[in-house]
Amino acid sequence: MSRVPAVAIVDDDEAIREALEDLMVVEGFDCQAFDGAAAFLADYDRTHFDCLITDVRMPGMSGIELLEYLRSLGSRLPVIVLTSVIDEQSRARSLALGAKAWLTKPAAENVLLGELRRAI
Amino acid sequence: MTISRPDTIAARSDLHIADLATESIVIFDQDGRVRYWNPASEALYGWPSLTMIDQNIDAITKRNGEEPMHWPLLLQEGVWRGRVRRRHVSGASIIADIRQYVRFHADGSAGEVIEYGRRAPSGEESDRDDWNIPDRLMAASWEIDMSAARSLIEAHATEGSPPEALAIDIVTALRVIDVNERTARLVGGNRGRAVMIGQSVAKFWPIESRAILGELVIEAVAAGVPGHTVKRQLASDGILRDPIVTLWLGDKPDRIFVAVNGTADDDRSYLYLRASEARYRKLIHYMPTALLQVDASHMGRIYAQIKSSGVEDFGRYLDDHPELLDLANETVTVTDVNRRAVDMFGGDNALDLAGPVGFLFAANRATLKNVMVGRFNGQPSHSELTKVRTFDGRILDVQLSVTYPIPPRELDVTIFSIQDVTAQLQIEAQLRQLQADFTHAARISTLGELTTSIAHEVNQPLAAILTNAETSLRWLSKDDPDLAKVAQLTTRIVAGAQRANGIVQRIRGMATKHQPERTKLDINEVAQEALMFLRHEIETRDIRIATTFAHRLPKVTGDRIQLQQVIVNLLLNAIQAMTAAQSADCAIAIATTTDGNGGLSFSIRDSGPGIPATDIDRIFEGFFTTKEGGLGIGLGICQSIIMGHGGLIHALNHPEGGAEFRFNLPSASSN
Repeated sequence: MSRVPAVAIVDDDEAIREALEDLMVVEGFDCQAFDGAAAFLADYDRTHFDCLITDVRMPGMSGIELLEYLRSLGSRLPVIVLTSVIDEQSRARSLALGAKAWLTKPAAENVLLGELRRAI
Repeated sequence: MTISRPDTIAARSDLHIADLATESIVIFDQDGRVRYWNPASEALYGWPSLTMIDQNIDAITKRNGEEPMHWPLLLQEGVWRGRVRRRHVSGASIIADIRQYVRFHADGSAGEVIEYGRRAPSGEESDRDDWNIPDRLMAASWEIDMSAARSLIEAHATEGSPPEALAIDIVTALRVIDVNERTARLVGGNRGRAVMIGQSVAKFWPIESRAILGELVIEAVAAGVPGHTVKRQLASDGILRDPIVTLWLGDKPDRIFVAVNGTADDDRSYLYLRASEARYRKLIHYMPTALLQVDASHMGRIYAQIKSSGVEDFGRYLDDHPELLDLANETVTVTDVNRRAVDMFGGDNALDLAGPVGFLFAANRATLKNVMVGRFNGQPSHSELTKVRTFDGRILDVQLSVTYPIPPRELDVTIFSIQDVTAQLQIEAQLRQLQADFTHAARISTLGELTTSIAHEVNQPLAAILTNAETSLRWLSKDDPDLAKVAQLTTRIVAGAQRANGIVQRIRGMATKHQPERTKLDINEVAQEALMFLRHEIETRDIRIATTFAHRLPKVTGDRIQLQQVIVNLLLNAIQAMTAAQSADCAIAIATTTDGNGGLSFSIRDSGPGIPATDIDRIFEGFFTTKEGGLGIGLGICQSIIMGHGGLIHALNHPEGGAEFRFNLPSASSN
């Protein structure tokens, strides 16, 4: 597998987006960040991603709604939820929808990268 | 025989009944000198009591042949009845029927003689009662020392009618030895008899008739006969109607008596006036406010001089002439006080407070200055919150009000009223503290509702910082570290830390207990800060915020945290109302405008279900809530904060749906 894995990041917080993007780059991933679900979906048909890291609480469509929508389209894209929401119900719902991991911010980079590698 | 003063008082003390008698009552000592002369005697003979005391009755009595036996007979028999001819003050003769009785001491020795008298019936003029019009007849009388005027009088004794200026100079040089109560009441203001004694007659004599008085003095001196009366009709002067002034020389050198008869220029009778005055005095005396009557007449003249010299800013003038404040402190005198004033200052009686006003301003000299400036500027009154020191050293917070005399009255009475507000101010301070505590509690409660939001807000920059630091380390561990990238990441770490710090500061501002402090605020900025606070709530719930901030709004004077609290509360209520109703389209419109009264108006409208009609009147009540788990203090606090800032808050349902809250605040320049 010679192709560099591509990771999509969806988060409304610019500082988080930039930080994650740089982390992905230093770890050798190809990475593209979006400020919300709508922006990601607009690009969804044109770009192939190997994994999606998404926040939950966002203006417009939430991370869980995005996951639901992807599954409704039949997508099997691996998804990691990275959030500061501590809500057992949301976590259970995400995992039921096939999310690979549910991580709370601030998450240790080793754990995030570990989950990412496992997901791809 | 001389009569000592205590004796006179003792003689008078049991004679107040005789003051009211309609019959002439006179008391003589054994030598025939008058010791007491009641008002009815004044009416009958025209001679005022003041001028008759110490006089021998023979001076006005014309005795017939058998008369020399009268006095020894009286003392021997103890009683005498008969008809005497006496000289009326007008110069005419009066025939009176009199009865005289000797009062004997316990040891049998003869004491004073008491005479009852009335006008003898003559011709068709029957026994007419003169007593029914006592006011017309009773005199305002003066005993005057003219020694200082003697040289002026003699300088012109040889010439005819004296020039007016001289006559006035003579009156100025006349000194008051004594006056009767009526004189004191008519021209002495409220200062009383004692204050008039020793002063120049000109200080109390109406300006218009001073020259006439001077002429009469010259006339009487020229005649040179003690007891010989000279008189003149005066123009009505606003005090007495058609007054007649009668003047004669006394027995002692340089002694003049003056009697002014006339009807008091007031329809009410003398007795009525006296009764109403007594009621008035009683009212003042028992008033729960401390009242002090002050005589600052001489300061009025000083002010007039300063004013005529072109001074306009008297406050600055006083700064340059502090000695004028000392002068007022030492020479303006308290002339009367009521009971409450004595109690307030911890005195034993009114005399403790009588005298220079300095003690009133011992704790706050600036107040004296303000009081003086008020008078100088011709204000009708002045009021301020100040402090006074009591005689036992306590400092009281008081509301001091001064009512100035109305120019150009010569009667110069300034009234100070002093209300002790120490307890009131303490209660107000406690209330403010309680309100501050309550407001703080409400803020903490609001912060409690925002915990999730706040955690999220702080977590975001923290997560970014961690990731950036981690990434930075990864770059540094490479064989060829990209130092430019590391620098960029480090910059981001700093920015993230600053952002987290900003959030913590905002929360700390709301959570810290602080005394409200008033500063000039731009309400638009306050609203923007409140929006920052709820940014996360607004964004994650996808609420559209439309702001219409007016430009060039007047600033308001207020406490930033408290006004922020109001707006945060209103915003949070709107968000919660819309969330609870699961409104499809959530929108909040915030607008600021000027309110037409120079102040500003703030409104916030949501797209929620509105306020139930049954609740709209109760919505600002304390502990009223429709929210599950809500304390119901949010809107109550909002109302008390807005009212504390001089504004009003209203709740209404917008005609096109949703709830609207609107408050107005006065501009900083208007308060």
